[in-house]
Amino acid sequence: MFNKFRREMDVSEKDELRNGDDTTVNYDESANIPPPDWRVSGSNPVSDSYPTENLISSSQMMETLWYDPANVQAVGYGGFNGGGNPSSSSSFRGNIDRSLEMGWSLPNLLPPKGGNGMFLPNASSFLPPSMAQFPADSGFIERAARFSLFSGGSFSDMMNQQQPLGNPESVGLFLQGQCPSSEVNVVGVAHNDASSAMKETNKQNVPGSGNVSEDTQSSGGNGQKGGETSSKGFDSKKRKRNKQNAGADQSNRSQQSEEEPDNNNGGGAEKRNDEQSPNSQGNKTNSGKQQGKQASDPKDGYIHVRARRGQATNSHSLAERVRREKISERMKFLQDLVPGCNKVTGKAVMLDEIINYVQSLQRQVEFLSMKLATVNPQMDFNREGLLAKDALQLRAGTSSATPFPPNMPMVYPPLPHGFMQQTLSCMGRTVSSPLSPPINGGYKRQEANGWEGDLQNVIQINYGAGDVPPDSQAAATDASLPSSNMKVEP
Amino acid sequence: MASADKPINTDVPEKDVFTLHFLQSLSNLRRQNTFNSPEKTNDRVKKIKKAAYVSMARAAGGTNRLWSRALLRRAAKENSKVVRFPRRKKRVTCLRRRRSNRRDPVEEEEAERLRNLVPGGGGMETSKLMEETAHYIKCLSMQVKVMQCLVDGLAPK
Repeated sequence: MFNKFRREMDVSEKDELRNGDDTTVNYDESANIPPPDWRVSGSNPVSDSYPTENLISSSQMMETLWYDPANVQAVGYGGFNGGGNPSSSSSFRGNIDRSLEMGWSLPNLLPPKGGNGMFLPNASSFLPPSMAQFPADSGFIERAARFSLFSGGSFSDMMNQQQPLGNPESVGLFLQGQCPSSEVNVVGVAHNDASSAMKETNKQNVPGSGNVSEDTQSSGGNGQKGGETSSKGFDSKKRKRNKQNAGADQSNRSQQSEEEPDNNNGGGAEKRNDEQSPNSQGNKTNSGKQQGKQASDPKDGYIHVRARRGQATNSHSLAERVRREKISERMKFLQDLVPGCNKVTGKAVMLDEIINYVQSLQRQVEFLSMKLATVNPQMDFNREGLLAKDALQLRAGTSSATPFPPNMPMVYPPLPHGFMQQTLSCMGRTVSSPLSPPINGGYKRQEANGWEGDLQNVIQINYGAGDVPPDSQAAATDASLPSSNMKVEP
Repeated sequence: MASADKPINTDVPEKDVFTLHFLQSLSNLRRQNTFNSPEKTNDRVKKIKKAAYVSMARAAGGTNRLWSRALLRRAAKENSKVVRFPRRKKRVTCLRRRRSNRRDPVEEEEAERLRNLVPGGGGMETSKLMEETAHYIKCLSMQVKVMQCLVDGLAPK
C-alpha cells in the first residue's frame, strides 16, 4: 500500500515539488481544481476506498495539510491523530502524538482522539469553501512557503506510516489558521501563535527543523519537528496548489516550473550527504512562495536547502551558501578545540590560529620523541633498575594512599607492566581519567591477583576515583595488552 | 578524552588506548636490532616519532578517519609494506570531481596550508578538512599528553 501511495504521489507530479526520489510527495497536477472531496484531490485512483486505504487517506490528508498552511503545526496534527489506526506503525503515531503535544498550546483544543473520527467527517464539508477562502496575502504565502520546510526524514516517516487519518478535510480545517470559521476558533488561537513565530524564520532545511520548533514554540524532538515540518510542508504545498488553482499566481507556477528543470538537473547529480541539493525548491520565488522538497536524508543523502529571503536563488549560490555555513559551523567547533581562539573572529585569522596550533602540536610530538630517545637511550625496557627506580618513584608518589603490598609485585612482573603502571601513575598525576578498567581487565588475564590489586590501588590513588566506569575501550585495550605482553617478554 | 559534537563526530578514545598503542610500537622498536646501539640519535628520534604517529593513527580509530588512513598508508609505503584498507574509491573520486566546485578563494590559501599539515588532507573538501583537522587536533593533543607522561616517568626530576 505504501508503495502504491508513493507511486501515486510521483505520478501526480507537480512542477513545484520535485524530487527524483520516490519518497518525495508529488502533488497531483490535477489538483488544479479544488477538489470537493479531498480524497480525490490528487485524482488518486487509489483513493477509492477511504476507510480501507489508510495509507492513501493519510497521504491525502497530508496533502490537505499542505494546502492549508495556516498554522499547521499543532493544528494539523490534531486532525491526524483523530483516527486510530490499528495497523499503523507506532512511530508515525508517535510522531503525530509528539507533534500534537508540541503544537498544542491549548490542549483542550485538541479533540479527543476518539472524537476525531467524528469530528473529521463533520469538517469535511468545510473544506471546499475554506479552500476557496484562501487569502492571497503575502503573509499567507510566506507561511505556505515556510510550511514547505520540513525535514525529509520525518516527512518520509510520515509518508511511510500508515495511519487512518480520518477525514483529511478536518485536518485541512485545522490547518486553516486564517479561516474564520467558528469551529476553528481554537485552531486560530494556536495558529496565531505559530504564525507569528513562523514569520520570523527563514532558514535552511536542517536549521529549518530548528525553525519548526521555533515556530511551534514548543520543545520537541526531531521527530516532532520533522512531523511538524512535514505537515507544514504539505500545507504550503497544498496551499500553493490551491492558490494556483484559483489562478492566484500563475506566474509563480511558471517560474517554478522553470526552476524545476534546473532543480531536476541539480537533483539528478549525485550528492553526498553533506552536499546541498541544488534543487532550488527552497528558492524563494518573488511571491515568497516556497516549495520544499522532502526526501529522507538517510534515504538519498540529499539535504534540501531553502533560499533565504532576499538572497540569490541560483542553485550554485545556494550550494555555496550551504557549504559556507558548513564550514563556518566546523570553524566554530575548531574554535572550541583550539585554546585561546575565543577572541579571534574571522575565518582567516582563525585558520591561522588553527594552523599554528597544529604545527605546535606536531613540534611537540617531535620534541617529546627526541626527549624519549635521549632520556632512554637504549629504550631498554628490561632493566630492572629502571623498574626499581620507577617503583620507588611510584611509591613516593602514592605514599599518601594505601601502602603497597610488601611483595612489591611491580618489580617482578615483566617490564611492560611495571612501565605501564608507572606511566599510568604519571598520567594519573597529570590527568585524571579512568584508566583502570581496561588495564585491569588485561592484567587480570596475565598477572597475579596481587599485581592487579596493586595496580588498581595505584590507579585509585592516582585518580581518586572510587569506581571507574566501564570503558568502551576496554575491549581494545584488553586485546592489545596481552599482545604487547607477548611481544615484550623475552 | 572523548567528546561528541552533533553533527560532527570527533570522538577520540581515552588516553589509555593511546598509551597502549604507543608502548606497543615502542616495544616493537625495541625489538629491532638496529635500535639498541644507535650512535645517531636522529635516527632513533625519527623512528620514535614515526612510531608515535603510527600508534596515534591506530589508536585514534584506525582507518575510520581519513587522516589516520593516510598516515598509515604513508608509513606502510615507507616500510614497503602492503596495506589494505577498506577503500571507498567511489567517495574519493567523488571528492576529486567535486573539488573544483568547492573553492572559495578567500579561504583556500589557509585551507591549503592546513592540507599540508594534516595528513591526507590533499583530497579533501574544505568542510571535510575541518572535521578531520578537529579530530586530528584532539588525537595529537592526546598523543602529546601520553608522550609527556612517558617522558616524565622515564626521567623524573
